[in-house]
Amino acid sequence: MASRSAKNPPQTAAANYSSFPVPQPLLDELFTAAYEELRRLAGAISRHDPAATLSPTALVNEAWMKLAKSPPFSVASPLHFRSIAARAMRQVLVDAARRRQASRRGSEVAFVTFDDGAEHSLAAARDVLALNEALDELNRLNPRQATMIEARFFGGLDTAEIAGLLGISEATVLRDWRAARAWLAREIRKA
Amino acid sequence: MDQKRWERIQEVFHYALEMSDPDRRAVLESLAREDADLASEVQSLLDEDARTSLIDRDISSVASDVVATSESQDILSQQQFGAYRIIRMLGEGGMGVVYLAERSDLETKAAIKILRDAWLSPARRERFLSEQKTLAHLEHPLIARLYDSGTLPDGTPWFVMEHVEGTPVTEYCKANASGIRERLTLFRSICEAVQFAHNNLVVHRDLKPSNILVRADGSVKLLDFGISKQLHADGDVREQTRTAVRMMTPAYAAPEQIRGEPIGLHTDVYSLGVVLYEMLVGRLPFDLSGHSPADAERVLLEREPEKPSSAARRMATVSAGAAHAGSISGSSWTDLDVLCLTAMHKEPERRYRTVDALVRDVDHFLRQEPLEARGDSARYRLGKFTRRNRARLSAAALVIVSVIGLSIFYTVRLTEARNAALAEAARAGQLQRFTLNLLQGGDEFVGPADSLRVISLIDRGVQEARSLSNDPTMQAQLFETLGSIYLQLGKLDQADTLLKLSLSARQAIHGREHSDIAQNLVGLGMVKNARAEYDSAQALVARGLAMSKRLLPPGHPAIARASAQLGQVLQESGDYDAAIAVLDSGVRLQTVSSVATPELSATLTELANVHFYKGNYAVSDTLNRRVLEIDRRIYGPRHPSVANDLINLGAIQFEFGKFTEAERYYREALAITRPWYGDNHPSTAANLTMLGRALVSQQRLDEGASVLQEAVAINERAFGPVHPRVASALNELGRVAQQQGRLDEAETNFRRMEQIYRTVHKNKHYVIGVAMSNIGGVMKERKRYADAARLFEDVLQLYKTELTPDHQLVGIARVRYAEILLLQKRYVDAEREASAGHTIIGKQPSPPAVWMDRARQALVSIYDSTGRTELAMPYKGALAAKK
Repeated sequence: MASRSAKNPPQTAAANYSSFPVPQPLLDELFTAAYEELRRLAGAISRHDPAATLSPTALVNEAWMKLAKSPPFSVASPLHFRSIAARAMRQVLVDAARRRQASRRGSEVAFVTFDDGAEHSLAAARDVLALNEALDELNRLNPRQATMIEARFFGGLDTAEIAGLLGISEATVLRDWRAARAWLAREIRKA
Repeated sequence: MDQKRWERIQEVFHYALEMSDPDRRAVLESLAREDADLASEVQSLLDEDARTSLIDRDISSVASDVVATSESQDILSQQQFGAYRIIRMLGEGGMGVVYLAERSDLETKAAIKILRDAWLSPARRERFLSEQKTLAHLEHPLIARLYDSGTLPDGTPWFVMEHVEGTPVTEYCKANASGIRERLTLFRSICEAVQFAHNNLVVHRDLKPSNILVRADGSVKLLDFGISKQLHADGDVREQTRTAVRMMTPAYAAPEQIRGEPIGLHTDVYSLGVVLYEMLVGRLPFDLSGHSPADAERVLLEREPEKPSSAARRMATVSAGAAHAGSISGSSWTDLDVLCLTAMHKEPERRYRTVDALVRDVDHFLRQEPLEARGDSARYRLGKFTRRNRARLSAAALVIVSVIGLSIFYTVRLTEARNAALAEAARAGQLQRFTLNLLQGGDEFVGPADSLRVISLIDRGVQEARSLSNDPTMQAQLFETLGSIYLQLGKLDQADTLLKLSLSARQAIHGREHSDIAQNLVGLGMVKNARAEYDSAQALVARGLAMSKRLLPPGHPAIARASAQLGQVLQESGDYDAAIAVLDSGVRLQTVSSVATPELSATLTELANVHFYKGNYAVSDTLNRRVLEIDRRIYGPRHPSVANDLINLGAIQFEFGKFTEAERYYREALAITRPWYGDNHPSTAANLTMLGRALVSQQRLDEGASVLQEAVAINERAFGPVHPRVASALNELGRVAQQQGRLDEAETNFRRMEQIYRTVHKNKHYVIGVAMSNIGGVMKERKRYADAARLFEDVLQLYKTELTPDHQLVGIARVRYAEILLLQKRYVDAEREASAGHTIIGKQPSPPAVWMDRARQALVSIYDSTGRTELAMPYKGALAAKK
């Protein structure tokens, strides 16, 4: 029956964090706000000082300080926020990577060669997109591992924090991490 | 690969990691003979384990590679924006970059604006697009058209709009050394354009001279309507709003924008005030040059501007831009000071309430009449009292709050405005009630909960009002306003108390007869009406109406309102014919002048409702169509009143059984409701629920279910998971699921519904029984008769304390119980229940045919099964007669 599909809503942005004591719509709202704030900060930094190092921890902290005061965020703990921000950061980087690739395609007419920096940046963009796809696949195979990689790589959470977030031991985190990391690295290389 | 396989791979991987190299090789070789894939998979992971990868890099270095490289604007020249293509850059502003573009097929030029710092998250892009549709419909000769819009692949919004060549209005005035009348006429047409947008629910939010161009022919054109909204996160993420403001031109931003408070029509009024100031004086009200953004904000929030008159005189000595200043008389300057400073007052409640009011004063000025804005000390005092509440209020941006806010802020001096605001509240309430009646079968319990915040605001208002005893006139008016609001919210005791206080205060001032006293009587009558005390309601409203007729000229809005209200009382008391007579004469009185007014619309709506309840659907349909036409004229095409009319028209089609037509109306209404209230508002949900019912009635069950699910989701977001509105939507969903044979889902929905009602009503309300009966229905389909029977026993037990024994619901439950008993072959019990149910249902004023038939059918089956066919005969006869 066609109506079955209605029973399975599409996976939402923050679906992996269902263990949080925050209702789903609020989580989505948090994600959206975090995403837009991070994008704005990242954009501002890249425009004003192209050479500036973009530290995600600094970005996330700044976003947190701005957003923490707004009502929907008052329910989330800093740790929750950072895990949501990790997801948002992933989206920000994926979007940036897509733009990189688009700009390459778009400017082929205008420029014959690229400088090293551009090539380098393109490779990074390719890798980020490959990682993104591989993470989606990993999420299908083992959502906990996907969440873990996301929180650590994109959000800078450490082992203890991830263990706290997921309610598992640090040893389990390390074990899961090692296998997931190897698998993702392989997938990125394949791409 | 599946999850099991991945588990297995990891197992081997970890196992292999523990080993020394040679052991590992041996193990993998032997594994390869069994499962070559597994072995090579593990080997590749082991290889990666020893190498470095992207994942080991610090995210900041990855990010700076990907993000922080300078992005060439040239990519844009390759980009297609709808049918348009960029030709060259026109300019760069705070919000973004503007390009000149061309539509190749038509060879027409347009401007493309690409917003910077406004990436929309994927979740928000859809809403962006729907908002743009509204903007695209904004057609006015003085507003630059929006042709198209969209987002780049990364979410950056872009807009294609009419390319306007012109000069910013302030520069135009300087260059042409325009005289004062010319300047104010220009300003008036700017206001007209803004007013048009406001009527269409679009707030500009970023009005400034660079968005207001004067073309070579001297006509004005406004740019960028509603676009700065895309810089805002709606809802309550205030910091983002503040961020957005920093990207705008702060000099024209209203204090509430700078503070990140809710934005509304008053925000544009402020900006218009600043523009007028600049047009009059030749410079901005505040000199912000050399200030840091934080200092600039402080200046804008705290400093009072110099009066335009004195600023202009000083400017006149140094600049030709204000040369016109000398030609203005002293008293004219006083008026211009008031006009300008009222528009740009720091406190929104002390500004012109609407652009309309601002235009009226501009007209007064041009006609050398006294301004409405002058001499409002009473309003000022009221303003002070409301301001204290406002701070606590500002988070609640619900429509109803702003309606009520308006009615408190502005009403005491301006009775008309108060009445308009109340009419608005009434309309909002009416829509809500009408839709809720459809949803809930007329249960009142849904009203107050979502208005709690409003209630506490009003409660505070009452305290403040009580302290105003040194100004009894104002106090009486305030009591009346607050009482009327309580009435709207269903707080009848408070409404009654306040209206009585207002009445006795006015009687002390005016004696027995006064038009305000008449209004009090009508108000008190409406309280009685809400209590279903129709006789006294009718007496009071009739007395008020008669008094109004004696004291006021015929055709006065107060008379029109009172007769509409008398009609409503008569209608609710069931005296439809008397109601029709009163309302008909009310309509006749009002149509003499042939002007369409809100009062006429309200009277006709009431008349349409009476005919609807009387079952005269065709008449009701005609009347509602007329109302629709009037409301479209008064309020414009996208106003909730129009949606209300469409919903009423849909309900009529629904009654006719014309579900596709009903659907069409509901969809049309939804196209208004959704953008007006937003995706997360109960009114949107109510509209969706009706649409869902229309779809379900067409047996378009899947579509209906998904619409209803959206309604549930909205209500859950708006009210939390435990709320009667969620329950009523679950009820609909449960029925659909049951019809589709998805019994598990149906049961889940009904059980949640039951739980919600139990929680909300603390186990004491008949609606719990309705939910349980529905569960019983599912049990019956599952042939779990014992469970079903137990449920109905509990239902009847509950009804014993919550309903009168001859209530229709008791009858229905007993019939349903009898049906179960029959299936259990408990004929004695079944006969008792079926015949009791039959009697109760038969006693109802208009017995529902479906249940009468089901009662008869049950009795027939019982008598046939027990060999008493002669007893079954009359029921068989009645059933056959129906066919």
